[in-house]
Amino acid sequence: MSSPDRAAAKPAKSPAKKPKAAATKAAATKAAATKAAATKAAATKAAATKAAPVKAAPVKRARKADAGEPSSQDKAAFLKALSKGIAPGTDAARTVARKSGKKGEAAAAAAAAPEAPKVEVLRRIPAPVKVVDTPESAHALEFAARIEKMVETGDLQTLQPHAQQALIAALCKLYAANTEAGERYPALGQRSAVSATDVMILCGALLKAVDLQVFELGMWQSWSST
Amino acid sequence: MAEQFVCKASEFKDGERQIIRIGEAEIGVFRHEGEFFAYSNYCLHQGGPACEGLTIARVEERLREDKTSMGLYFSEKDMNFVCPWHGYEYDMRTGEHVADRRVKLRKYDVVTKGDEVYVVA
Repeated sequence: MSSPDRAAAKPAKSPAKKPKAAATKAAATKAAATKAAATKAAATKAAATKAAPVKAAPVKRARKADAGEPSSQDKAAFLKALSKGIAPGTDAARTVARKSGKKGEAAAAAAAAPEAPKVEVLRRIPAPVKVVDTPESAHALEFAARIEKMVETGDLQTLQPHAQQALIAALCKLYAANTEAGERYPALGQRSAVSATDVMILCGALLKAVDLQVFELGMWQSWSST
Repeated sequence: MAEQFVCKASEFKDGERQIIRIGEAEIGVFRHEGEFFAYSNYCLHQGGPACEGLTIARVEERLREDKTSMGLYFSEKDMNFVCPWHGYEYDMRTGEHVADRRVKLRKYDVVTKGDEVYVVA
């Protein structure tokens, strides 16, 4: 650092503490230094203008750009674009299309237009298999409905125990024969609405009737996977 | 909203279901007793395939005059469908959850034109 600079810097640090005479001297020194620098700069500028007068303006513009300050025209264009959105055919539209991986304006236009939805059949679930009625089945259904009506009305004596036993035994044999023949279907239909308590009572009674324990049923099921 | 062709009515048997996709939406189309119904195939419980489970008659409890129960019976007229994930049960005609009528699947209109079935989506 040169001595005039140091002198000029000192009053700036603590101007209140310095004597008035020193401050005046420093100011005078600074003014002289500034004048000399200005004269030198003017001479340099004049020489530069003489050598290449056209380059002065671009240097100024470059400095402005370095400062990150857009011109008023750029600002106006930016605001206009904000309010209008991205217009097709502009540089902005092409940039967006390029960045989104689509080439050309046609692709951009196709992306902008809503695509008509198409129906795609994923799965077809068939209707439940319909039962085939035989005369015996119809008769059995009718009789089953009569039994249900008896239970509903509280008439538990009309169908005597021996008749019930015969029916249960016959149905038990028929169901087991079908299962062993490979015709597997649920023991109760969808619309039977038999409660879990009813099932447990009958299952327990059936096991007892043939002197089977529950663990034996479990063994049978685990061995035979039925 | 536009009418989207699904299939011919003559190829859609009673009791059958079709799971279709229209755009982003997955829709279950039912044919029940000659009528068509279409609902979102997205269960309101946890997003399961609501329209792909069992179709089952509604369970009703019949009561005597003194309000004691006569037992549970399957309804002769009302049919429900059940989400296979956790058993959320919906009314076939309205798409409402049977236990809480405020909860309902999104319903799509179904239009038949001659022998053609369209879903409005």
